Amino acid sequence: MNQNMAAAMELRCWGGDWGLPSVHTESLIVLAYTKFSGAKVAVSPIDWTWKTITVTVPELVCGDTAVQEPTQILNFLRKQRFNADYELTARQGADTMAYIALLEEKLQPALLHTFWVDAENYSNLTRPWFASRSPFPLNFFVPGRLASGALSRILLTTGEAPLHRISEVEGKIYSDAKECLNLLSYRLGTANFFFGNSPTSLDAFAFGFLAPLHKASLPSSPLQSHLRQLDNLTGFCDNILAVYFSSDHFCKIAAQAGPLPPVQETMDANLQKLTQLVNKESNLIEKMDDNLRSSPQHKPHRPEPKPSLSSAKSSTPA
Amino acid sequence: MSLAAEAFMSQMAAAEPWPENATLYQPLKEDQILLSDCASSLAVQAYLRMCGLPVQVFCRANAEYMSPSGKIPFIHVGNQVVSELGPIVQFTKAKGHSLSDGLDDVQRAEMKAYMELVNNMLLTAELYIQWCDDSTATEISRPRYSSPYSWPLNKILAYQKQWEVRRKMNAIGWGGKTLEQVYEDVSQCCQALSQRLGTQSYFFNKQPTELDALVFGHLFTILTTRLTSTELAERVKSYSNLLSFCRRVEQTYFEDKSS
Repeated sequence: MNQNMAAAMELRCWGGDWGLPSVHTESLIVLAYTKFSGAKVAVSPIDWTWKTITVTVPELVCGDTAVQEPTQILNFLRKQRFNADYELTARQGADTMAYIALLEEKLQPALLHTFWVDAENYSNLTRPWFASRSPFPLNFFVPGRLASGALSRILLTTGEAPLHRISEVEGKIYSDAKECLNLLSYRLGTANFFFGNSPTSLDAFAFGFLAPLHKASLPSSPLQSHLRQLDNLTGFCDNILAVYFSSDHFCKIAAQAGPLPPVQETMDANLQKLTQLVNKESNLIEKMDDNLRSSPQHKPHRPEPKPSLSSAKSSTPA
Repeated sequence: MSLAAEAFMSQMAAAEPWPENATLYQPLKEDQILLSDCASSLAVQAYLRMCGLPVQVFCRANAEYMSPSGKIPFIHVGNQVVSELGPIVQFTKAKGHSLSDGLDDVQRAEMKAYMELVNNMLLTAELYIQWCDDSTATEISRPRYSSPYSWPLNKILAYQKQWEVRRKMNAIGWGGKTLEQVYEDVSQCCQALSQRLGTQSYFFNKQPTELDALVFGHLFTILTTRLTSTELAERVKSYSNLLSFCRRVEQTYFEDKSS
C-alpha cells in the first residue's frame, strides 16, 4: 500500500531554466532531496498556470494531504521511509541542523537581495523570467508580489525596519554571505558531499541555495563572482547536476561538459585561502575608498585652477 | 554599519586596551527585562567573563533605545558603543582578546553554524513564546515590557513591540506554528546541542568559546525564568549534559554572583 501512496505523490514547483531543474531555491531543495532519497515524485511545474498566484510553492500533494515548506516536506518524505539521512550519526545530524541554520540566516538574505531587490538583476533577469512564466494577466502581479515579499523578509530579519533602510543593511548581508560561502567551502573541503560519499539533506539544502547563484546569468553580482572562485562549491553543484539530474528533460545544458569526475583538489588549500583573504581585503579597500570619496567631510579637489590674473593674454613677462 | 565604518571601528578599537570602566547596559532586571533580552545579555556577560574582561552591569529602563542597533545588550567601552554578541566578539578580537583563535577553519565553520542554530531556533522560539502566545503576552510580556512607563504610553509601546515581533514571525514562516510545534523545535535544537556537546566540558576541546557563552546564556535563562507554563524548562531539563554544562559554567565564571 505504501508503494501506491508513493506513486501518487505530486510536487508542485517552479519550472527550470539555466541548466537547472528549477530556478526556485526551495523547489530545488525538495527536488534534490527526492533524487537523493529515491522517492518517486511526479513533478508538475506551476508555470503558465493560475497556480502561480494561488499556491505556495513548493507543495507536495499525496492523496489528501498537502505539505508545504521544504523542512516539512523533507520530514514527510522521511516518514514515508524515503530517508537520505539514514546513515548519519547523531552528531552529524546535529551538524546538519546547524549548517542549515547557517545557510538560512547568513546566505539567504543576500540571495534574496541579489535576485529580487538588486535593481539591475531584478529588471533584467528575475522579473522577465517570472513574468514570462505566468499567464496573462498574472504576469503583472506575480513578480512584484514575490519581490516585495523578499524585501520585507530581508528588512525584518536583518535590520530593525524603522531604523535601517535596505541600503544600510546591504553591506552587512553581503559580507555575511561571503563569509558563509567561505565557511561552507572549508567544511566541504575536497569531498564530493558534506558527509561521506552519499548525499544527505544538508547537500540538498546547499544545492538549492548555491545552484541558482552559480548558474543564473546575473548582470551584476559580486556574490556570484565570489562563489565562482570557490571551486569546490561550484564543482559540488555541477557534480549533483551531472549525476542526479542529467537524464531529466528539464536540464538542457547540465550535461554539456559530460559527466564530471569527482572534484580533484587542484588548487593548493593555502592558495585558496589567500585568494579569499585578498578578495575580502580588496573589497574592503574598495568600499573604504568609495566611502571616503563620497564622504561630505572630504574636501573636494579644486574643480579647475583659478584663472590667473596676469597670464591670460601676455606671453612674455618682460 | 557599512564595511568602511566597521574597518575604522576596528582600527580605533585596536588602539586602546580594555579600560576598567567598561559598562554593559540592559533593561531593569527585576521588573522589565524579558526572557530573550535576558538570555542575550547573560550570553554577553558570560563571554566577557570568559575572556577575563571586567565589565559593570547597569540596568536602565531605556536601554533598548540607547542601543545603536535597537537590540540588547550593548557595551560602552572607552568612547565606543557596541551592541549584540556578534559585533562585541569582533570588537574584543580587535583589542586582542579572542576565545576562538585556537580553532582551525572547519571548527570555526562549525562554531558559527551552531551559533546560528541557537539564534535561529532558540532565540526565535523565545520571542514566539513571549509575544505570539496570547497568555504569556498578556500576563507577562506586555506588563513587564511597559512597566517603567505610565498610561497611555505603556499600552502603545507594548502593543507596538508585539506587532513588530508578530510581523517578523510571519515573515520567517513561524506565524503559522502552534505552541506545541515551537516546543518541539526547541527540543530538537537542544538535542542537536546535546549531541554536539557529548561528554566534553565545553563544545570545543577544553576551552570555552563564544558558542559556549551563547548556549549558556539561553539555557540558563530558560531554566531560571518563570513563565506561564514550565513546558519550556522541562524540555531543556531532559538533556542532562546540557544541565551539567550550565552548572559548570555558572560555577566557574559566575561564582561571585548572588542570584
